[in-house]
Amino acid sequence: MLVARYTLRAHRAAYLLGAGEESDDVVQEAFVKAFQHLSRFRTGEPFGPWLLRIVTNETRNLVRSRRRRAGLALRLGTAEPAGTAADAPADEVLAAERRTRLVAAVNTLPARERQVLVCRYFLELSEAETAQVLACPLGSVKSRTSRALNRLRGLLVPAPESRVPSG
Amino acid sequence: MADQTGWRSAVESELRALGRELEVPPASDLTAAVRQRLEGQGLQGQRLKGQAVRRHQGPDRWTGLFRRRRGWRPVLVVVAAFLVVLIATPQGRAAIAHVFRFAGVELRQGPEPSRSPAGGGSPHGGSSQPGGSSLPGERPMSLEQARRQAAFPILVPTVLGRPGRVLVSDGGRVVSLVYDRTPHGPVRVDEFAGRPDQIYFEKILHLASITEVRVNGTRGLWIKGPHEVVYITREGMTTTAPARLTTGNTLIWSTGQVTLRLEGNVGKAAALSIASSAR
Repeated sequence: MLVARYTLRAHRAAYLLGAGEESDDVVQEAFVKAFQHLSRFRTGEPFGPWLLRIVTNETRNLVRSRRRRAGLALRLGTAEPAGTAADAPADEVLAAERRTRLVAAVNTLPARERQVLVCRYFLELSEAETAQVLACPLGSVKSRTSRALNRLRGLLVPAPESRVPSG
Repeated sequence: MADQTGWRSAVESELRALGRELEVPPASDLTAAVRQRLEGQGLQGQRLKGQAVRRHQGPDRWTGLFRRRRGWRPVLVVVAAFLVVLIATPQGRAAIAHVFRFAGVELRQGPEPSRSPAGGGSPHGGSSQPGGSSLPGERPMSLEQARRQAAFPILVPTVLGRPGRVLVSDGGRVVSLVYDRTPHGPVRVDEFAGRPDQIYFEKILHLASITEVRVNGTRGLWIKGPHEVVYITREGMTTTAPARLTTGNTLIWSTGQVTLRLEGNVGKAAALSIASSAR
């Protein structure tokens, strides 16, 4: 029951943190470990971040054993009917283009900064939850977030309005 | 510096929107696999590293085995207790066999709902409170205020016009439009962001009471008759508020960005026309 309830979240976290095709294995391992160490789990503490912390650890171990620097690249879903259609409004096309560039930019970030962005914005965790999940001080979450966002700014400049339209 | 913070919040909201569009393959159902592994370990004690070390230190192999089992037992008890807390409700959810999910709603096969006092004669469960037991942190506010609070665009069925009341719950996670008077009697519409990894409501019903429908070309679910519904928090826990019994029929549909749940004594055709008018 608990497994059913948390699988989606844990799987999404594992995948976005770089476990790729092995996300199911990572989540299974994380659940088993979570149950094994349930005695360390304090009542009243939220179960979600606690489980995600184990998922993150498992994913890190996997990525390390794979010897890939930052896991797999994130990709945009293809289920977006309006975005690329020929008759789509110009602002939608621009927005789709911007998202593609943003994904590419996130993919070039150093692993530690990328993980913070994944937790904060893709998994929509708070700063405190992110610190718990990544097992690092709250200050590091804040500083890594700022650094990552500044880097994205650098990577995304020039902004769309100042660009010469192509095509 | 104002430009700096403006830029930052713009990128932050862009990243959040992006997160919802990232490709994530479907997750497998791991319940059986996890259960099997835990049960297997409970008997054989593989992978219990700490316990295995102690076993080598022990004078006798059998004492080691005994210790190992004793070490595992409290954990099993905790696991069992945890599951019991989650599962056990007066409604006897132990009988639940099947589960499926649709746009943030989890549907479980359960026993026939008994008419509880909470689900009495009023169209919304409670006698004075629409929606029976209210959602956590529920606050009434104007539609405009709600639009500022909600993390998703609020849709209003134009057929019904402006809602009589707008309730924002759980820090803007759910918005409810309450219509006390419509041609079909009272109607309630709950809305929430259609996030791929979150469950907002759990429904315990007869899966046979569900039919698939189309709303503006996308899939929706029509649920005939009352059933139990419980709110699931961000943390995946059921709230302290008890499950309530819905009244009339329910239609659930999604625009991709937003999931809507319409409840009331509304027929299928009327519900579909209300749904397709949501803007």
